Amino acid sequence: MEVMIGLEVHCQLATRSKLFCSDSTDSRESAPNENTCPICLGFPGSKPVVNRKAIDYGIMVATALNSNIARRMYFSRKSYFYPDMAKNFQVTQYEIPLALGGYVEVGDLKVRIRRVHMEEDPAKLSYVGGDITNSKYVLIDYNRAGAPLLEIVTEPDFKTPQQARAFLEKLSSMLEHIGIYDPSREASLRVDSNVSIEGGNRVEVKNITGFANVEKALGYEIVRQRGLLRMNMKAVMETRHFDAATRTTKSLRKKEAEADYGYIFDPDLPSITLSEASIKKVADAMPELPDQRVARISGSYGLDEYQAKVLVYTDKNLADFFEECCTRYAYKDPPHAANWIINYLLKSLNWNMTAIKGSKVRAGTFIEFLGLIDSGTITERYAKELIKEYVDTGISPTELAERNIRSTPKINLEEIVSAIISSNRQAVEEFKGGNARALQFMIGQVLAKTNKQADPNAIKELILKMISEAK
Amino acid sequence: MEDYWKINEELVRHISKAAKLNLSDDEVARYVREVGDILDAFRQIDKVDVGGEEPAFHPLPVENRWREDEEKKTEWDPFSNSESREDGYFKGPKII
Amino acid sequence: MNKGASMTSVKEHIEKARSGEVDLKAFMEEVMERTRAIQEKYTPFITINDNPAPPASKGMLYGLPISVKDCLCTKGLRTTAGSKILNNYIPPFDATAVSRSLSEGAFLIGKTAMDEFGFGTFSTNCAYSIPKNPADPERSCGGSSGGAGCVSAAADFPHVAIAESTGGSITAPAAFTGTVGITPTYGRVSRWGLIDYANSLDKIGVMGKEVYDVALVLSAISGEDPLDSTSHGGGREDFTKSLEGGIAGMKIGVPKEYFGEGVDERISALVWKRIKELEGEGAAYEEISLPLTEYSIPSYYLIAMSEASTNLSKYCGLRYGLHGELSGNFEEYFSKVRSEGFGDEAKRRVVLGTYARMAGFREAYYLKALKVRSKIINEFRGAFKRFDVIATPSMPVLPPKFSEIGGLTPIQGYMMDILTVAPNLAGMPMISLPAGRIGGLPAGIHFIADQMGEDSLFRVAAFSEGLEWK
Repeated sequence: MEVMIGLEVHCQLATRSKLFCSDSTDSRESAPNENTCPICLGFPGSKPVVNRKAIDYGIMVATALNSNIARRMYFSRKSYFYPDMAKNFQVTQYEIPLALGGYVEVGDLKVRIRRVHMEEDPAKLSYVGGDITNSKYVLIDYNRAGAPLLEIVTEPDFKTPQQARAFLEKLSSMLEHIGIYDPSREASLRVDSNVSIEGGNRVEVKNITGFANVEKALGYEIVRQRGLLRMNMKAVMETRHFDAATRTTKSLRKKEAEADYGYIFDPDLPSITLSEASIKKVADAMPELPDQRVARISGSYGLDEYQAKVLVYTDKNLADFFEECCTRYAYKDPPHAANWIINYLLKSLNWNMTAIKGSKVRAGTFIEFLGLIDSGTITERYAKELIKEYVDTGISPTELAERNIRSTPKINLEEIVSAIISSNRQAVEEFKGGNARALQFMIGQVLAKTNKQADPNAIKELILKMISEAK
Repeated sequence: MEDYWKINEELVRHISKAAKLNLSDDEVARYVREVGDILDAFRQIDKVDVGGEEPAFHPLPVENRWREDEEKKTEWDPFSNSESREDGYFKGPKII
Repeated sequence: MNKGASMTSVKEHIEKARSGEVDLKAFMEEVMERTRAIQEKYTPFITINDNPAPPASKGMLYGLPISVKDCLCTKGLRTTAGSKILNNYIPPFDATAVSRSLSEGAFLIGKTAMDEFGFGTFSTNCAYSIPKNPADPERSCGGSSGGAGCVSAAADFPHVAIAESTGGSITAPAAFTGTVGITPTYGRVSRWGLIDYANSLDKIGVMGKEVYDVALVLSAISGEDPLDSTSHGGGREDFTKSLEGGIAGMKIGVPKEYFGEGVDERISALVWKRIKELEGEGAAYEEISLPLTEYSIPSYYLIAMSEASTNLSKYCGLRYGLHGELSGNFEEYFSKVRSEGFGDEAKRRVVLGTYARMAGFREAYYLKALKVRSKIINEFRGAFKRFDVIATPSMPVLPPKFSEIGGLTPIQGYMMDILTVAPNLAGMPMISLPAGRIGGLPAGIHFIADQMGEDSLFRVAAFSEGLEWK
């Protein structure tokens, strides 16, 4: 059954102030309604004034999306009543948006962009004594009201939820690289999706936060619609809401054939005319995009494309970290560094549930860590253990290693090997009988006893020696 | 095409619902009449040939007016005109 | 207080105040007493500012009493825009026009009555008080800046009113009360703090007894404001400099469409008489035609109501204004508050405005009206290539009795704006002057200039004032 999925991605731009007023957009440490003023609260007599930076950011994104930027654009009023609306109309762009058309390549899929436009965020609602369907009243926090959003609308080019997710991950990385979006801020990227199957009715699933949830919501919705079709029923054209707890979509309201928003051009705001020169200036100043960075990193540092992709796409800060290690600290073996970052450092960070940016890991100490391995001061095996403690504490690896050596009693390797041999007669017999694995088993036992500090080769030598001497 | 300069009860009710106004039956009937008269008087605008004319959103050009991206805190009490509040939030009516 | 002070002109009063000849404290007390007396007699105020703050500086408006139309926000002083839905609204900031006046040394005597949100031509749609015409208290002061016109006429002390016009709301009361009213070019005065009727049409202006008074206050309040994206004009201009310019060689265009059958013949005759007098004094006039005039009413109203219906969406019982009990869902709650708080005309305009921008209709109504507006602007500009000013009657009728107004249908009410909507639509500056009296009732003459052409208006107005037409 043919599936058609389209996405509307709302990205909160990381400007300092809101789209139409000078309140701060960063409310992470703020009390509710602390970052407000008469403009974003829609007080009578207040008037909006456009934040120039938001336009510049919009131009950068449109450029990155290969979109056609309007030479003259306007703001529109989209009227609808809702408790999160300070004016009961949202200032957005309807007829003449920032940009039309464009595309993003995600693997083999070329995702077409329909439009890119700017609009203001509504306030945040919380539901007291229940959820959206049954709370007795709502509590409204206008800190978010008026924050600048960029809305990116795709054509319904996705055929699977996985494709949708892959697109979102790539888009997110692009936006982060351009520098207009901060993923550490809550709900910086919100997604509305449209799903239909077999040319049936389009169902909208609104306001999903998190790419994993988008995939889940779409997955559920497709199954639900398929189920209806099998029973010879059609999916109703409606708006649904994704419940993350139950991983299902729930009906919110029936969608009237294209709700009437009564658009007018906003007469409080100017038209924005962009000259070729101004667009070019912004585009030229644009930071490196992820694809460009992957190519450059694998080229300059001799990494294979896969490694470069993991570094760039997992987390921009990870790629930044890698480059800092290799350039600022002039580390001589970038592929080795990449290997340790991707296969071990990242694991430990995930285990600690931190990203590299909020962690205690620093390029300086990480280089030290690599240095310990390179010089043979610690074994690779031990390093894989040490890295966990390093990530957890951020303490210099050299210091950590020394502490561990001091705190563990001196190993009498011969004693331990001897003990293992005597308590594993059967393994010794099996080894003598030609079973190489039995040897490995005994080496492992010794290693465990020495807290993995001893050198496996040394252990092997000793075991062989003792076994042969025991004959 | 149907004459769009006419209005009827269904339309008035639909519009008033969209605009969040409760109109009594009397009011609806009266508005049908009054708005009907008004539209009738306005219909002559059809006679004007506006081929090629751009819409004038302002009487004189208002272009490229903006501000720099600087934060400024407003010292004020957002609740100065509302008692409907709880714990620093505005209290509003439920959704459904 | 010495009686002589009540006849002091604004100019003289400010000069005396600045040179220390006026006991400002006593003066202010006396003014407030007289203000209350005017309120008793003619009810032009919605709120009187009982304890006005003393002048903030010895600026160009030092010691001048001003009244402010109640659609301009005054910090800490109730502002209602004539509507019940804002009956308890206390703005947290001043409108720019207000703050500039106050910082130049004026003091605020009160907020004047108006048609709710500006919806009306007679100030009878006010939820608070309906101002009575000092020329005949059974008659309307005009609207929507009726209170401003009333106080301007009735004040027996130096006074200037700050008012507002969207489709003719300064001209109508100026004509009906026999006072001077300037509606400047769109964007000349910042709209920051002006409670919106229609954002592309609203203009803050000034009313008073003499041309000098309005030129002075306009100079104080106009000029670009970073808080209003539609304001322009660079730095502030001194319009009083234009007053001595004279009219020698001035070319006056007289459009025949403004003297047609809808206009009271006596008014037409009076205005023509004045035009000919100006010709006698060195100006030249020529009859012209502005054929798009008849389309200005639908074009104006469709745009104004479309914009107004979105502006009025804000009022829903949250954050400020009339609140209700939080029962029912948001649709029920909003509808309840709005239906209770809005007057009949407001509801009708919201319905019409919502309709005019509805999908399927907005091409034919809203967008079409915007294109007709372009044509009307061009038609005016064409005329102004050949003429310095256009002269017309201000209003098609003499001030009507309240009993007569009650009998008008809404569309009949709208048609009263026929002489003012076109220049308002085009954002052109205009000034209404007393042209004389007919049966004891004031009639006004209207001069219109090209955008940014206030200089021509003040020249012809000041000169005409010298001819004593009152």
